[in-house]
Order: sequence, then structure tokens, then C-alpha cells
Amino acid sequence: MTREVTLTIDGKQVTVPAGTVIVDAARKAGIDIPVFCYHPKMEPVGMCRMCLVEVGRPMRDRATGEPILEEDGSPKIQFGPKLETACTVPVSEGMVVVGLSEKVQAARKDILEFLLTSHPLDCPICDKGGECPLQDLTMAYGPSESRFIYDEKMHLEKHVPLGDLIYLDRERCIQCARCIRFQDEIAGDAVLEFYHRGRHTDVITNSEPGFDSYWSGNTTDICPVGALTTADFRFGARPWELKNAASICTHCPVGCNLTYNTRREAKSGGNVVIKRAMPRQNEEVNELWICDKGRFAYHFAESEERLTQPLVRKNGELTPVDWDEALTLIASQFRNAGERLLTLVGGRLPNEDLFNLKQLTEGLGGKVALHTYMGGGEYVVRHGLSAGSNLGDLGAGDTVMVIASDLEEEAPLWYLRLKQAAERGAKLIVANPRPTKLERYAGEVVRYTYGQELSIFDDLKAKVAGATNLVIFFGSEGLGLAGSKALAAACADLFVSSGHENTKPNNGLVGVWPAANTQGAWELGFTAGADLGAASLLYIVAADPVSDDTAAAEAIQNADFTVVQDLFLSETAALADVVLPAQAQVEREGTFVSGERRLQRFYPIVTAPGQTRPDFDIAAAIGEKLDIELKGRFPSLVFPQICAQVPAFAGLTYQKLAEVHPQWPLVDRSDRYYGGTSYGNQQGLGVHLQAAEAREIPAAPTAPALPEAEIIAVPVTTLYDHGRMVAASPVLQPRLRKPFIRLHPADAQKLKTTDGMTVGLAVDGGPVAPVLVIEDPAVPQGFALVARSMGVPIHQPATFEIRIAETSMA
Amino acid sequence: MALPERAQVQEILRGMWITFRSMFEKPVTIQYPEVKRRIHTRFRGRHVLNRYENGLEKCIGCSLCAAACPADAIFVESAENTDEERYSPGERYASTYEINMLRCIFCGYCEDACPTQAITLEDNYELSFTSRRDAIYTKERLLVPVPEGGKPTPQKVEPGVFTRAVPEMADPTD
Amino acid sequence: MNKLAERYPEEIQAILAKYPPEHKRSAVMPLLYLAQREGGYVSKHDIADIAEICGITTSEVASLIGFYTLYHDEPAGKIRIQVCNDLPCALRGADDFLKELCDALGIQPGETTPDGLITVEAVMCLAACDKAPMFQTQTGEGLQYHENMTVEKTLALIESWREKEAAQ
Repeated sequence: MTREVTLTIDGKQVTVPAGTVIVDAARKAGIDIPVFCYHPKMEPVGMCRMCLVEVGRPMRDRATGEPILEEDGSPKIQFGPKLETACTVPVSEGMVVVGLSEKVQAARKDILEFLLTSHPLDCPICDKGGECPLQDLTMAYGPSESRFIYDEKMHLEKHVPLGDLIYLDRERCIQCARCIRFQDEIAGDAVLEFYHRGRHTDVITNSEPGFDSYWSGNTTDICPVGALTTADFRFGARPWELKNAASICTHCPVGCNLTYNTRREAKSGGNVVIKRAMPRQNEEVNELWICDKGRFAYHFAESEERLTQPLVRKNGELTPVDWDEALTLIASQFRNAGERLLTLVGGRLPNEDLFNLKQLTEGLGGKVALHTYMGGGEYVVRHGLSAGSNLGDLGAGDTVMVIASDLEEEAPLWYLRLKQAAERGAKLIVANPRPTKLERYAGEVVRYTYGQELSIFDDLKAKVAGATNLVIFFGSEGLGLAGSKALAAACADLFVSSGHENTKPNNGLVGVWPAANTQGAWELGFTAGADLGAASLLYIVAADPVSDDTAAAEAIQNADFTVVQDLFLSETAALADVVLPAQAQVEREGTFVSGERRLQRFYPIVTAPGQTRPDFDIAAAIGEKLDIELKGRFPSLVFPQICAQVPAFAGLTYQKLAEVHPQWPLVDRSDRYYGGTSYGNQQGLGVHLQAAEAREIPAAPTAPALPEAEIIAVPVTTLYDHGRMVAASPVLQPRLRKPFIRLHPADAQKLKTTDGMTVGLAVDGGPVAPVLVIEDPAVPQGFALVARSMGVPIHQPATFEIRIAETSMA
Repeated sequence: MALPERAQVQEILRGMWITFRSMFEKPVTIQYPEVKRRIHTRFRGRHVLNRYENGLEKCIGCSLCAAACPADAIFVESAENTDEERYSPGERYASTYEINMLRCIFCGYCEDACPTQAITLEDNYELSFTSRRDAIYTKERLLVPVPEGGKPTPQKVEPGVFTRAVPEMADPTD
Repeated sequence: MNKLAERYPEEIQAILAKYPPEHKRSAVMPLLYLAQREGGYVSKHDIADIAEICGITTSEVASLIGFYTLYHDEPAGKIRIQVCNDLPCALRGADDFLKELCDALGIQPGETTPDGLITVEAVMCLAACDKAPMFQTQTGEGLQYHENMTVEKTLALIESWREKEAAQ
């Protein structure tokens, strides 16, 4: 237990833990001390001098050490001759802080006058104007006039791209170094730095590509002026014109809390559109940050290519029809379907939709399956994290393990959270066949060969023994469905054998799933690995199996009747008999379960295009035609049914999801100088699903053997893949890498390829696609890394063929 | 019927006199629209969007007029200028600018809020439209003609000349 | 490939040996001197090489070059005249001195004379405010402070350098 210290700030008694700096102590007491460079998440530097206050300490007799008392018996306070920076001075017992004196007011006024000596008159056009700490604090504390001559203002570059996503305006920068410190301390990518000295100081990046970091967007949130702006929102709207709505990021299983800012837009025909995505504080999930994918890849829902009305195949062509015709046709085919029906769903569907689809299918006697190439959910459901878990609580004595996952590429926020856990003293074990960036912070690195994942577990048992808490993240690097399932089973075993049961918070298995709600699907009882070919009636929702599996195309062609329900006319949809237009996540409400088993609710942000309907509603409409009663219309009608029927959801309500409690740092948009422009959380922090003790643990499957070949292609994940959800974002285009095959130089030589060459690649006898050869000594010999969702279908270790003759040299 | 009282006759005569006298006065009615009344200096008629002498638009798309508007009659959307396609000095220009004249109460707050004196309320009070849609004045309708010697927007300009969105008013190159 | 390591293998080993292996980043300053020993400046490639050797980012290396006046990331004249024009120096006439010197040489601050001998630059504090106008030069003989300077004295100095250069 840390020692408590009591001090007085502006006449108010405050008790805070020792070590707290004055700014934070004041904040807790509801007293604002203005800051620019200080940020509660970063080490104080005392650069901007805005937080100057008078600090007095009780006087002590030098000889006896006894406090000297005033005549009235109160301790005599001695104030320093000069003001002190409240952001760097820790509190001490009996301290007296004065922030309202004339001396302090004058200092604030002077500091602002200096900051404004060369600040351009840009407020009317500045993206930060309206939510700008410099503007706000100048209004509150600044001088009404400047004594400096306008003509003597420094004129600097106003349009400096720091990479493709973030722009710098050198004139507006006040050199607070928040961006630099964020990149260095929080993101761990020190790609921003100061250059020059004195008035010429400016922010540079020297990385290749510029500002090479997956968290670059956060610097624009914490920039206390308009010096850093995003390419996405530049001049997009004024902040006061924006409306905000709470949502959950749909790009990875972390489940970052977002606030979408919306506005009517002329070029969208007067429709309300999303103008920007902002982080919403949830200290147990994403703190104040989001990754650049979450910030910039929301554009897919606006696409012109969205399906807007039901299509039915007539004379071989998909023809627009009305809903009733499509539903009647589906009902006639699905009636008495029985075992012939297979419903295949994608992991991005919300729980309500998954539930309705399952009820419908099972009501008809069919089977449901989850479309995923990463398995093992059965084990996470049993051993996943439970109530009270928070990665932010992990520290000394705890062990966190990451197996077969490159967290920076797969779930960037977890990367940040685990980096911090390691910095707080938790033991971080990273096990991967090749080096990943997280290893920088790892206490131990375990290296194994692709396909040999299970061989390390004897060793791991010893490593996790004695840990207070144990959290294991497992991924699917170099693994297919069966391989990742075997890995999950081994992890589950480890929990049992080491006695880290999930009845205790902060003990559990986390799947680094490819989609936002894969965990939800496992929780609702979906299983993976269905054989499409075995069913003659297919109902495929939010999944595109054809794009990465040729067998799926065959299965659809052989099936009697296929219904595809999606946002776009995907490759799978193009083969279907009926295509139904679904609504995107931002157009409707629902709930997601994050990889940490946290249930979170999202809300509608924009109106849905055309005749699209949410998936749960479509399922209910089909059910209605087939006399299966399902709740359509509102997810709030479906959710209680889930809670009543699924044990993990027992006792949960929308009210519980909406509960908030005060979080530290106290952030809301009334004082953006303190925490930045990220949103506070009024819409709910979410709750953990119940620990499923009673559920049976499936027997561990045997790990599949690697295919026989000299060099084996293994799948890896990159953050900016070429999937439709990412590629639709115009600002991310320059950051999309070319499809690649990453080889050890010796292997590249064996294949007669060289670094930078473009070759044809066919995996497992599939179609040939052009890829870039990258030589990388870090890749283990005998393996070639091929990224998922980048144009080359790969979902498990496979043989491959390189064709050099077919493509020319790059 | 009794004869009218003396006082009553007097009143009638006085009234008749006023009528008679006004026959020789200059009439106050004017033959609108052939003849138009004088506009006062501070009259607030329809808005215009002004240009600099070189033809660049003064409006920088800052939306302060829209923020000031008590009737929510103004809608502004902005975009980024380049030296190849420059609409206004500085980085930002109004890509969409609309005023709904049915909502406008001609208070002139927009004029007050404008940091570049781009929007001014001028003399024109002859607003007529036959549909609600026509009542929404677009940027094209609000912009004044290009002054003599100026060029229409967008202009292709020398790089690095028009860097200031809020110039020292007179000279946009400052 | 790390060209710097190929060029100066022994020197780099000697520098790295001075610091504990877990604090390799401490070697960045001597490595920067090493990199600019021949060309007089640190090239972009050198920056990347040093970053690799020290295990830090290229931005961090570039930042050091920007901070210190004795590191350069662009080629310039053989002798750099670095005039301090921070506030105290400016009050003692450093700004005017810089302008007049540049006018006399027919160049702008930051530019090099046509013969490639002299580059005049304005820099931040050199800690000799009391003797301003002042500048520092870096020649083969090391770092030199020239204090209480006038344009005439400076031009005479430049002339002497020119003669010395011609004699070689």
C-alpha cells in the first residue's frame, strides 16, 4: 500500500498517494492547473512552463527538525522564491499549492504570450480550432494583446507530410514534445525527434516510410495545438459541427472503444457520414489510444460497391428483386431443410446476429459453423479471462505469454498493453519461430520451428510455474485451423497443470482472432471446420470462403441452393443463388465479445444505404416465413434471449454494459489540454462474460504434420492487409504493402530468386499471383512467409511453387 | 334631421382641406420596379462572397459564419488548396457554401464572424424563388464576378506565394 | 549492408569497447564524428548505419546532428563559420555582423562561397555571449572560437585561410 500524502491546493485539502505530481493531485480534487507538455500517461518533462504555481512547504527547525508553528498553532509555510512546475514536483506532506495568486496568473499570461510570439493566425482554418488547448488556455489565461510585432513572426513550412498519414505544420508547433514522447515512451517507436535548437526546433521523422508507426494517429489527439493533423480529417469539418456516437472497433479482437464523429456531407448527397474515428477512454481495453487501422480504415462501409438490394439468380444472372420475393424463395428452399442446411458465418457478426442465425438454422434442423482458419475457441471459452481481469493490472510477479502471434501486426493495442505490463515488471515470454517486435520487451524469448509449437510446452511449464497470474495470448502464425486448435489445447493444459484457473481474475487464455467477434461466436457455441461440400443448402453470412479456398467455389456450385448475405458482392456472393444486402456495423447496433471476453455494445452511427437490413433481422424475416419465431427489429429484443439461454451471458443486460465508473486519468473533452481530444466514456465500459467452469473441455486434438517439401509456405498476418475492410480506405493506400513472400537469403538462392524480384506464387496448387520476394535473414530456413488476405490464398502451412518465367523482373 | 353643429362643420372642412392640400404634394409612392428606393449604408440585403483583386476567393471555408448564424442557415464544407488549383489564399477553401435564404434573418452575424471579410450583406433585397430548393443559394450564386484584371478560380499560381489564409487583410501575399 | 562498419571496422570496435554492451547507444556521438571525418558531413546512409550499430532509430541519430552544431548532415565549404545569433549575441550586434559578413562574401546565411572554402551559418548558443559577435570554426586544427569579431577582422582571417589553401 502506498503512503498517502495530504496537501492543500488553492485552499482545498487533498489526499493522494505519495509520488503523485501536483497537477494530478489538483485534477483529482477538481482543480485545473493548465498544462501543454504534461500528459498523465507520460513522464513529466516540464518543458512548456504553463503549469507554474507557487509551492510552499512547512518550515522545520534546523536544529530539532520540529515543524515551526505560526502564532495560531498552524504550521508555518515557506514559499519558494520562484514558481515551480506543478507537473514535475511530487506532492509532499503539508505542502501548500497556490494556483490563483496574481504571481501565478502573471506567469501564465507571460508563458502564453511567449508561446504566441510566432504562432500563426490560423485558428479559422486550423483543424484543431475549437478543440485546441492553446486556444482554450489563451482565452482563459492569456493576454488579450501581444507586444510582439506581426511582421517579426517566424514563417515556417506549413505543409510537411510526416509520412502518408500525419501532416506537420511547423509554425503551429509549440515544442511540447508530446508526440515525440508518445512515440518513444508509449508506442516504443522513437521515429519522431526534435531537430535543431532554440527557435528553430522542429519535429522530424527519419524513418522509412516516414512516421513509421501503427499508432501515429494518437499524436494528433495529444498535440495541444494544430501542428499535427491526419491526412484523413484534414480540413474535413470544424470540431463543433461534429456529432459523436459511441462504437467499438471492428478490425481486430481487442475491441477498442471508439467515438465516431459524424456530419452531413454535400458530396454524399446530404447524408450523415463518418468524418473521423476517435479513441474513447476505456482503461481496461484501449486506455486513450487506438491504432491507425482503427482510426483510418472505417471507410469500407461508405463504398459505392455496397449491395443495396436483394439479388436473385434468374436465367443465370443475379437480378435485383424486392425483399419479399427473395425471402419467399429462400423460405421455399429452406423448408424442411434438415441436415442438408449449413449456415456458415463470419467472425465480424455481432452476437445478436449469430444467435438468430443459429436459432434459425437449428430450428430447421441444419448445422451452423464459423468460417475461420484459426481454431481453438472451445478452449478459450473454458479458459478465457473472466470478470475483474485487466491487462493494466498485470505487473511484478505475473507472467504473460505470447505464442505464435506477432501482436504488433495482429492486435496493436494488445502489443502496447503487454509492453506496459512488461515495463511494470510482469514477466513477458514471447514464443515465435521468428523474431517479432514484442521481443524487445520480453523477459524471455522462446524460439521454435514452425510445426513444432507443442514441443516447447514442457519447457514453458517450468517458466510459468510460480507466477501469481498467468495470461497467454495465442495466435495462428504459421498455423492453420487444426494447428491453432492443438496449440490452444496445449495452452489450456498448461493452465490446468500450473493451477492458473480463470476463476481468479487475470488468469486466462486469449485468442488473437482474425475478426472482431470471433470470440463471441465461440461463446455462442459455433464450431469451425465445417465441410461445405457435405451440405446441399448453404447459407453464408459475412464470410467469403471462395476468396481463399477453391474447394468452397466447387461446393457452392455443387450445392442445390446457396444464399449469401454480405456487404459486398464478394467472390462467394457472385456464385450464390440469392444475395441479401446486410448492414455494416456502423449502421446498426449490437454487441461484440473481445478476445479478452469483454462484452461491449456499439450503437448506430450512420444511416444504412438502400434496402439493406441487419443480419439478425434478415434471419428473423426468414424465420417468420418458416414459422420459426425469432426477434427481428431490435437487437435489444434478441439480447435478453441470449442472456437467458447462453450460460456465459447469464445475468447480463444492456444496462450493465452501459455502466461506467470514474477512470484515471480523468479525461473528458471539457479540458482537452490535460488528456487530449480523445473522448471520455459515458456509454459503457462493457463487462466480462461469466467464467464457464462447468463446460467440458474437449479432448486435445493431435497437431497436424507439416507438408513434405524442402521449403514450406507458412501464413503470417500483417496489419494493413488487402482485405476489403482495409483497402477501401484511401489514406491507407500508400501504406499497403505489396503481396510478398519472405524468405531466408539461402532459401531465396535455392529458389533462384533475389530480393526485390516479382515472381508468380502458387500455394498448394492454387492460382498464381504476383508477389514480391523479400530476403530476410530473420526468417527460419526452410520456411517462406506469405501474408494472409494479400491476394495469395493461404490458411495453413502448405507447399508452394514459384514461377519466375511468368513475370518480369520488378 | 337637425342641422349639423358648427363644430362639426369645422371638422369636416378641416378634413377636406387636408385632402385638398395633399393634391398638390409630391406623392410618396414610387413606381417599383422601374423606380427604386435609396438603400441606406447599413442596409443588410443578400449576402455575397467577395474576391480579392486577383480573383482569389476571400472565403477560406472556416465555417465561423455558420457557427455564428442564429438561424442555422449556412452550411460550409471545406477542402485543401494546392498551388495547382487554388481558390483562396492559404490552405483551406470552401468546397461547398450554401445559405438557405428562407431561414436567413439577415442579422449580419455572419459578416461579423468572418475573419477575411469574405461574406458581406449587400444591397440586393429582391429575393424570389418558386421552390424551396431555389432558396438555397450556392457558392456559385453567392460569389461576386471576377474583378477586372483578376482570374477565375481555381487558379494555377506560383508555389509559396499565397501561404496565409488570414492575410493582413489588404495584401493576400503577406 | 552496413557500409560504415565495413569502412571503419577497427575504429568502430574501439568506440564500442568503451561502453557497456547494453548501452551501445552511448557510442552514437563518437560514431558521428567518425562518419563525418572524411566527407565533413554525415550522409543519410551513415545515419542509418549508425542507428543500426547503436540499436536506436534513424530519427534519434538525425536529432543529435540537428542539436549539436559540430555535426553536419549536409556537405558544405571546407571551413564553416558558425555565428551565434541567439538573443544575447544579437543584442551585441551578432545579427548585423552575420548579415554584413554574408553581404561581403556575396552569399546568404547557410550558403557556401563559390570557391567552396567558406560556409557561413547561424547557430544557437555557443556560450560566449560576453564576447559577441563571435563565431566558431572547425578546421584541421580543431575547434576554434573567434570572439569580439568585426567584419574586417573576419575577412582578413578568411584571406589568410585562402592563402594557406592556395599554398597547399
